[in-house]
Amino acid sequence: MNTEPYTLEHISEIALKEAARWKCNDVAITCSRANDFQVRFANNNITLVNNVRNLSVDVYIAREHKRVIGTTYNPTDNGLKIFIEHLIKSCDALPPSKDYVGLPEGSLENKGHSNFDSRVVDSNLVDYAKQAIDSALSAGALRVSGSLKSEISEIYLATSTGVRGRDKSSQLLLNVRAFRDDNASGQGLACSSYVSNFDVCKAGERAGSYAERALNPVQIPEGVYSVIFTPTVISNILPVASNASAFAIETGNSFLNDKLETKVAVDALDVTDYGVYDHGLGGRIFDDEGSPTRKNEILSNGVFRTMLHNSTTAKKFGKTSTGNAGIIVPKPFTIVFGGGDSTFEEMIRETKNGLLVTNNWYTRFQNVRAGEYSTVPRDAAFKVENGEVKEPVSGLRISDSIPRQLENVDLISKEREWIRWWEVETPTFAPAMRIKGVHVTRAVGS
Amino acid sequence: MTLENEDLVPFAVDLARSSGCEYSEARIHKSSDVTCFTRNGEAEPAMISECVGIGIRILRDGALAFGATNMLSQESVRSLVAQLVKEASVATNATRKKIVFSAEKAHVKKWSSEETKRVEDVSIESMVSYLREIDLLLSAPIRDVTFPNRNLFLGYNIEEKYFENSDGSRLDSRVTRESYIGILLAMYEGRPTSVSVPAGYAGLGGSGGWEIIENLRLHDKLPSMLKDITSGIKATAKPPKDESLDVILGPSVAGLTSHESCGHPGEADRILGREGAQAGESFLKPDKLGMQIGSQEAYVSDDPTIPHSMGFYLFDDEGVESRRRRLITAGKFTEFLQNRETAYEFGVKSNGSSRAVQYDREPIIRMGNTFIEPGDWTFDEMLKEIRHGLYIRSFMEWNIDDKRLNQRYVGLESYLIQNGELKEAVKDPVFEITTPKYWSSIDARASDVEFSCGTCGKGDPMQGAPVYIGAPHIRLRNVRIGAR
Repeated sequence: MNTEPYTLEHISEIALKEAARWKCNDVAITCSRANDFQVRFANNNITLVNNVRNLSVDVYIAREHKRVIGTTYNPTDNGLKIFIEHLIKSCDALPPSKDYVGLPEGSLENKGHSNFDSRVVDSNLVDYAKQAIDSALSAGALRVSGSLKSEISEIYLATSTGVRGRDKSSQLLLNVRAFRDDNASGQGLACSSYVSNFDVCKAGERAGSYAERALNPVQIPEGVYSVIFTPTVISNILPVASNASAFAIETGNSFLNDKLETKVAVDALDVTDYGVYDHGLGGRIFDDEGSPTRKNEILSNGVFRTMLHNSTTAKKFGKTSTGNAGIIVPKPFTIVFGGGDSTFEEMIRETKNGLLVTNNWYTRFQNVRAGEYSTVPRDAAFKVENGEVKEPVSGLRISDSIPRQLENVDLISKEREWIRWWEVETPTFAPAMRIKGVHVTRAVGS
Repeated sequence: MTLENEDLVPFAVDLARSSGCEYSEARIHKSSDVTCFTRNGEAEPAMISECVGIGIRILRDGALAFGATNMLSQESVRSLVAQLVKEASVATNATRKKIVFSAEKAHVKKWSSEETKRVEDVSIESMVSYLREIDLLLSAPIRDVTFPNRNLFLGYNIEEKYFENSDGSRLDSRVTRESYIGILLAMYEGRPTSVSVPAGYAGLGGSGGWEIIENLRLHDKLPSMLKDITSGIKATAKPPKDESLDVILGPSVAGLTSHESCGHPGEADRILGREGAQAGESFLKPDKLGMQIGSQEAYVSDDPTIPHSMGFYLFDDEGVESRRRRLITAGKFTEFLQNRETAYEFGVKSNGSSRAVQYDREPIIRMGNTFIEPGDWTFDEMLKEIRHGLYIRSFMEWNIDDKRLNQRYVGLESYLIQNGELKEAVKDPVFEITTPKYWSSIDARASDVEFSCGTCGKGDPMQGAPVYIGAPHIRLRNVRIGAR
């Protein structure tokens, strides 16, 4: 199989033509080329360089109101022919879907492309990794681990309804974790679509500085605290955008069920999904059905305003698509939290007795519908007393509910940061927030 | 079991060898998936994928480089190997520590999961019909609890690989896996609760042919499981708070502890810090082998060779033969999970723990089937000896810190125990405990081991690996329970 001479357009049109042979009602072909380069490091040494070149084809077929979706990594003419025949036979074996609705028609305006910087291709990731390690070490760390990636993606979409679209984006992503000792660590992130905004040294310094300040943590009692969460944590623990997906709501798995046009958060909280946020991180100019993406205000002044739809869910809810398809599951593309009116320093100064949590992982739900969850703070966390960051703390767990937290945000930072890492898949632009009355627990035996 | 383009595998290994690499490996790796999905008995679009390509890894002058492509031509592979050699050279100059692999025996084998009814012969139509039958069984109210939303998934995966390395290993494999997952919304007195059946977001399935699904007897098993779960959904009694009491954990809860609190901290790459930035490190250090972590009743193994298990494999993705690993023996850590890189560091042989979930992922240390070993107690015998305690049969929420020391499980179906008898159901008991305290508190294991399917997340890029987790009922003495 050698598809290198083929363009995405060529592959998409071949797939579309093959599907047309079977007299399908609707076909959407999304052909994607991804070139990902990664440098991983641990204990101040490079542990792996990773180079992945993929070309994949996503296919959606509707035939006599029966629907099937598929992905193939064999985009040769013959490979596509066999795969589409397989999809057609599978489609025919399904019962008709009462949810069927045709794909959108019309043409996409020429909107350029998502956030893309051609210089990302030539980035010297090994040099960046060395800079991140050195910055963390200079700031006080003794060991540094991390992952540094450049992602270049190009997609071409062709539908049986005449839509054609081309998009590309670039992303540079650094997650650096610094250790002063086994119980004192800090994290720094750098996430950018543009080389000029990609600051690995700042991320390294932040990780190293947190690690140094996290030395000799103390234990705190279980209880209820005012907690300042960094943008990294907010991006994970307030999944408003994914819960606004009509699919999550329809299947009963969202805390936003039955809350449309209802106040669910404090006045100051705005959450918006953008297809492409100008000079932001990644994004998409059209969705998987060929609808142009757009700005959707999900929460505005704390009121749940917009459910995210594809054509199918829109029909069910009597709405129009919001340009967020996923063929099955509508999804956000770029999540943007509104900024507040405090600086981060002011948030600390205004906290008499609370905590600062800089990072977290392993968020799991007891009851997704109710938004009841717990998450484990990781890396540096501190007491905040009388307006100052005090000694580090460890061994705690946040055990709370999203609806309660949304109603108890009392400070939001002006500054926002782009976040994308292991625990935050969708690019998110988030501020720090202080939330009142957060329940904190700890394990017995610690 | 012949994959297309297998000839590119020796081509890649030879190219790397002639480029001065001290070690190289390549695999054509094909993963074919079919998943059917019904929502309230209506078929959603079926999801079908065919993921195939070549993954190549080289070790050159102490630097490790991995690359992958699905452009399956000699020209493309030549270009990728050249790029990897170049990148390894740059990495070598930028790092002080050289990576070395342990020497391992070469193997030439064809192996596969045992398969009676080929999954390729199972139609989408029959899979959807099967789900609809189950949905009908799960749709009826149970004890005033209704289930207005039911999302059921049934699917299979065919994983085919052809692997060669520069040691002379040539391995040809096929493993088929089947699994069922169900997510339901329950309503009781106007109160909505999202649950999975089985609880804990677990799946049911295994490796083999379609007989795996047939033998599960889901038509009987799932309604019974759902009925049990309604006890937790209806419960209003608060659990005892901040009291020291005895606890019996059901197989699904105890099984997950074997994975989270023994398997993960015992992964040698975590212990050495290689996963520090994402999946995390371990509270264990290289010199802690033999460390007493628990009671004499703590026994945990990981065994990828169990036939029909979800984590079944006979050779890993570095060409090393798999075998059972006894991770905790009478409360002591007795073996870590090793790949060839960590084995060299530890001065041991690899125990065949290195897996990649698809062609464009590097092989990393993974568990296969991790379980607390059975004892010789019965559930009733354990129960009879408890004066005041709690039985946590299943759970939903759980998590653990990235050193694997501080964990939490929140019960779904849970009951008070008074004077050796099960009493009323309690709502959301929180079992939050450190790893040493947990393993030290076990004083009895029943013989009734049960396994469930999970997808274990690790690596960057993320790799979700199919695993089994298992345990019998176990009893812990003097532990604390909290409440949400």
